[in-house]
Amino acid sequence: MSEAETLAAVVNFARRDARDKLRGRTRYMVDQVRPGTLHGFVLRATMPSARIVNIDTSVARRMPGVRAIVTAEDAPGRFGIGIADQPLFASDVVRYHGEPIAAVAADTLWQAREAAAAIDVRLEAMPAVLTLAEALSNHAHLVHRDWKRYEVLLEAEGGRRGGNIAWEATVARGDTAAAFARSDVEIIESSFRVGRQSHMQLEPRGAIASYEDGRLHLVASTQAPWTVKNVTARALGLPPSRVRVTVPPVGGGFGVKYGCSIEPYAAALARAAGRSVALINSRQEELQTCPCRENADIHIRSAVTPAGDIVGREATVLMDCGAYGGEQIYLTTMTAHTLGSAYRLGAVKMTSRAVYTNTAPNGAFRACNGVYNVFALERHTDEICSAIGMDPLEFRHRNVLGDGDIGSTGQVFEGNVLGPMLDRMEAMSRSQPSKRAEVGERLYGKATTVGTWFVFVGPSAATVNLNPDGSATLVTAGVEIGQGTMMQSLPQIVAARLGIRPEDVVVNAADTDAAGFDVGVGGGRTTVSLGAAASVACDEVRRKLLEVGSKMLQTSPKHLVLKNGHVEIVGRAGGGISVARIAEHAQAVSGPISGSGSFTRAGVPAMMGCAAGHFLDSVDIPVFAVHECEIAIDPDTGHVEVLSYRVVQDVGRALNPSAIHGQIQGGVTQGLGYALHEEVTINPEGQIAQSGFGSYRVPLAQDVVPVEIALHEGAPSMGPFGTKGAGEVPILNVGATIACAVANATGKRVQELPLTPPRVLSLMLDRTEELDLRHAPF
Amino acid sequence: MQDQQRTGLHKPETVAEALAALSDLGGGGTVMAGATWIMRAPFRQEPMKPAYVSLAQIPELHRIEFTQAHVRIGSAVTHARLVRELQAIPELRGLVSAAGDSANPAVRQAATVGGNLCTADFAAADLVPALLCQDAEVEILTTEGRQLLSLDAFLGLRERLERAYLLVSVLVPRRPLASAHARLPLRKAGDYPVAIVSVAVECRPDGNMRGAAIAVGSVDAVARRWRGLERAVAGLPLDALRIHQLALDLADEFVGRDGPEVPGWYRVKVLPTLVRRAFATLQQH
Amino acid sequence: MAVRINVNGEERSFDGDVVTPLLDVLRNSFFLTGAKDVCREGFCGACMVHVDGVPVISCLTPVGLVDAKSVLTIEGLGDESDLVPLQRALEEGDAVQCGMCFPGIVMSLTNLLAQQPLAARDEIKRGLCGNVCRCTGYERIVDAALTLARNERRANV
Repeated sequence: MSEAETLAAVVNFARRDARDKLRGRTRYMVDQVRPGTLHGFVLRATMPSARIVNIDTSVARRMPGVRAIVTAEDAPGRFGIGIADQPLFASDVVRYHGEPIAAVAADTLWQAREAAAAIDVRLEAMPAVLTLAEALSNHAHLVHRDWKRYEVLLEAEGGRRGGNIAWEATVARGDTAAAFARSDVEIIESSFRVGRQSHMQLEPRGAIASYEDGRLHLVASTQAPWTVKNVTARALGLPPSRVRVTVPPVGGGFGVKYGCSIEPYAAALARAAGRSVALINSRQEELQTCPCRENADIHIRSAVTPAGDIVGREATVLMDCGAYGGEQIYLTTMTAHTLGSAYRLGAVKMTSRAVYTNTAPNGAFRACNGVYNVFALERHTDEICSAIGMDPLEFRHRNVLGDGDIGSTGQVFEGNVLGPMLDRMEAMSRSQPSKRAEVGERLYGKATTVGTWFVFVGPSAATVNLNPDGSATLVTAGVEIGQGTMMQSLPQIVAARLGIRPEDVVVNAADTDAAGFDVGVGGGRTTVSLGAAASVACDEVRRKLLEVGSKMLQTSPKHLVLKNGHVEIVGRAGGGISVARIAEHAQAVSGPISGSGSFTRAGVPAMMGCAAGHFLDSVDIPVFAVHECEIAIDPDTGHVEVLSYRVVQDVGRALNPSAIHGQIQGGVTQGLGYALHEEVTINPEGQIAQSGFGSYRVPLAQDVVPVEIALHEGAPSMGPFGTKGAGEVPILNVGATIACAVANATGKRVQELPLTPPRVLSLMLDRTEELDLRHAPF
Repeated sequence: MQDQQRTGLHKPETVAEALAALSDLGGGGTVMAGATWIMRAPFRQEPMKPAYVSLAQIPELHRIEFTQAHVRIGSAVTHARLVRELQAIPELRGLVSAAGDSANPAVRQAATVGGNLCTADFAAADLVPALLCQDAEVEILTTEGRQLLSLDAFLGLRERLERAYLLVSVLVPRRPLASAHARLPLRKAGDYPVAIVSVAVECRPDGNMRGAAIAVGSVDAVARRWRGLERAVAGLPLDALRIHQLALDLADEFVGRDGPEVPGWYRVKVLPTLVRRAFATLQQH
Repeated sequence: MAVRINVNGEERSFDGDVVTPLLDVLRNSFFLTGAKDVCREGFCGACMVHVDGVPVISCLTPVGLVDAKSVLTIEGLGDESDLVPLQRALEEGDAVQCGMCFPGIVMSLTNLLAQQPLAARDEIKRGLCGNVCRCTGYERIVDAALTLARNERRANV
């Protein structure tokens, strides 16, 4: 790609969907329920662990307005991400409070609820394991008695599982035992615990299902239409080609809509009723039936020389899957890359265990376990610095990965990225006055953290159709969930490659009948993977355009360039033919011009033998982040106020700097919620105790500050124009940065998030119990 | 969704009509003021009632009247109106602050004084302690006629009143006071306070306090006056730091209710700080 | 007996249950889907409308209580061809992401700026404590509102 094209791709192109959104005209899935559509409701278990003695739907079926009732008999398949352990409905046992037992479709939602209440369910309580420690204890109740018979869906050499351990992934490079046995090292051991985080995106999950010509059509609020298609088909025992998923504008996702969840229920009901069915979660269902970012226990220790070299590091990370493995099985792979690929390590051994508990299943949420691994890593780093008496910034400068350094799986990292980013942060920090003067009687704290995440590259497909009026239509399965990629960076890429304006690139809303496979929006991958696929599709369009243009202009394609909606001869500005004319001409002569492209991970080599049970040995596109904050803590109440927040983010190339800034402001805010306000607790009945925006507190306007942002460009990336995904990583370091600042301000050992006022006050009063992580041995 | 039901909505135009409707309905009906509590019944796993008696059309309940002795606030007056119409009265600064900081702007347009006082399950209500420390009285109407009781007494009675009743007005005595309200939400704003201290003091010419009324809300299930601390500060100068110390000594008379948002010990722990803040506000004026 | 409401200048009537939330009447009976059903608790502000000029949480308002009143929804702001200045400021400031919160935020801020045309940053933030945005982190929304307040200041000089 030429430099000119790259420059053309960089622009703060305005979102075309903003106007309708501001006027309330945008029709999200929740706004598209037509009169005459049936309303679905899911009957859910109210015990965490039980044997199902009997389910009797006979009375319910006869109730007014009821058009269909489905249970496990209607959808017997099991599905999952790493392991097929999850059924649509509980059949023989209930494994979590909230697990679906049946679903009802009726003329009105009220009628569906009434009928569900009339379904007679007899349950016999069984023991339940509600915490990681309980699940891993001797003689713990097995959440999946038949775990051995489950189908493993994803290949991963060396993975282990058994009992309540859904999956175990390990990485081991070098000899940690020897490192820890050295006489010249100090051994620092740290323990951490984090709770769940709920997405609280404003549009709940839901789908409108209908049967058309023997095929199922789902209008779904989803980030991954192909996943919904494939999982729904599997759950209902249909060939995937019989399922079509279309996606209207989505009111937020952040990962909760990355997996299939509510859609197959709508589908099952539509099939049973022979009519359209809308099934939409209430806010309480949305929060209490998950998936959340998982709660986790992290145990980490390091052997460090007085000079500050980390000669050995060991960690055990326990991740709570909830009752079904879901995304967490896959995410065991990520510890190596988040906990193990920010600093230079001599020898390293890390174990990640995804553990079953009798609680609602967890799932993907912006930067997944990176968020708590970075919290644990950076708090641990500060504890190391405290122990060996080294300045935390000096230690980081000394030890962060640079060009040629290897991560924990032996992957070789390219470029010096974190080092220069730390310098940039220091410069940014020095250019602003300290907020110390503002704290009054409160305690002042400041901290700087580093973090490694990555762009989750996966298969994408794209088609670009050149229209006779000179516009182009981009067809992908990408979804606009608010991140702006479908509105901004993708049309920018296509426009730059074809020499037309981004305004003239039509972006087709996702339709699995029209667009090839895409693994889903999220993971910062949309710009990179969809952009790359679109770019390849553009290559084909360019070639055809230039071919036709060369005949029309009697000039070799080598001397032609695409610019300003025209094919021009190099050096002869202003001449040339419009793309519209060429497209029209081509249509008549050789047929409409279009191109298709696909993209998937290149695969960066890792070291043989390091990783076991990993679904990804290496990351194609690492993304680095440096964050800094200043806080004030009220010593009487434990309230933490954020005074300033700074971000240096590794973006490769910023295609739409304004959009990236918006993502950073939003992602940091979400991170502040994770760090300070948002708490999910589980009551003794195994139910999530929070029920909505009243009891689960997300940051409001007064709780945030404007984030100061520097975009670091130039790090190596295979993304189009050298871009990396930017939407996911802004949340990565926030928990860590706030926690380290609180530890610095109070002088206390911060081991848990969120740092709510009672938790902070308890720390300051020395009332906090030490974490017991004997169930997470090294 | 109430589509299968035909909920009754009575719209009486006098308090007598309202009471008659409530008596007729018995347990099948209840007062509807701002409706913000009623409409959240699904979150409490409670069914809606078959009928409601709206107070919207009863002029007496929407009036704020100033007499020599009292400010009389109709029970259907909203938080927002309280702020607007009482903000020029320095003695009621604490009440205005309570009304103006609670919940969020739109809720304040709907939620009423009566709703705040009558909802027994709402431990975090801001207006209750603010009115308690003003020695407010409430006027209730039952089939036996109108009755005046102290707010304190009403709080003890409200769940036990067997007959239908209507809270008609709140009477705030007019006295030469200074008042303040200190509340502690977990975020900057927008959530229920985990602890509340509301104070009203009467100062002598020499600057010492003749007496202080100190009300505590959200710490226990029901707001109440902190008589022990009131006795300890009587006659003392208006010195927030010193009063804070006294509060520290006396705070363990509170147990503190456990809740999903904070444990009981935390509410009690922050109480002395809120006392200090309230008195510091008074010192400023 | 039907409930009669004036919605965005048009006389409408509803004859379902009187405690049906106004939000559901707007969305399901009048097909005005601009106000959103998000929390049902009065904390998120996504369902905000104006009733007789006052900001109202429509998910907590029984339709029977707005009989004979005037309701203004997001659809009633501005006209076919144009945005009101606040919407324009939000658009120009690149503030919109998923968009679900914006109808409620526009209704809240419209009222706030009408009451306090010269509002400062912290007053605007305080006035937004009943509006949740999960995508944007708020600052650009506040910036847009401040732009209007600033213009108001200039106009008054």
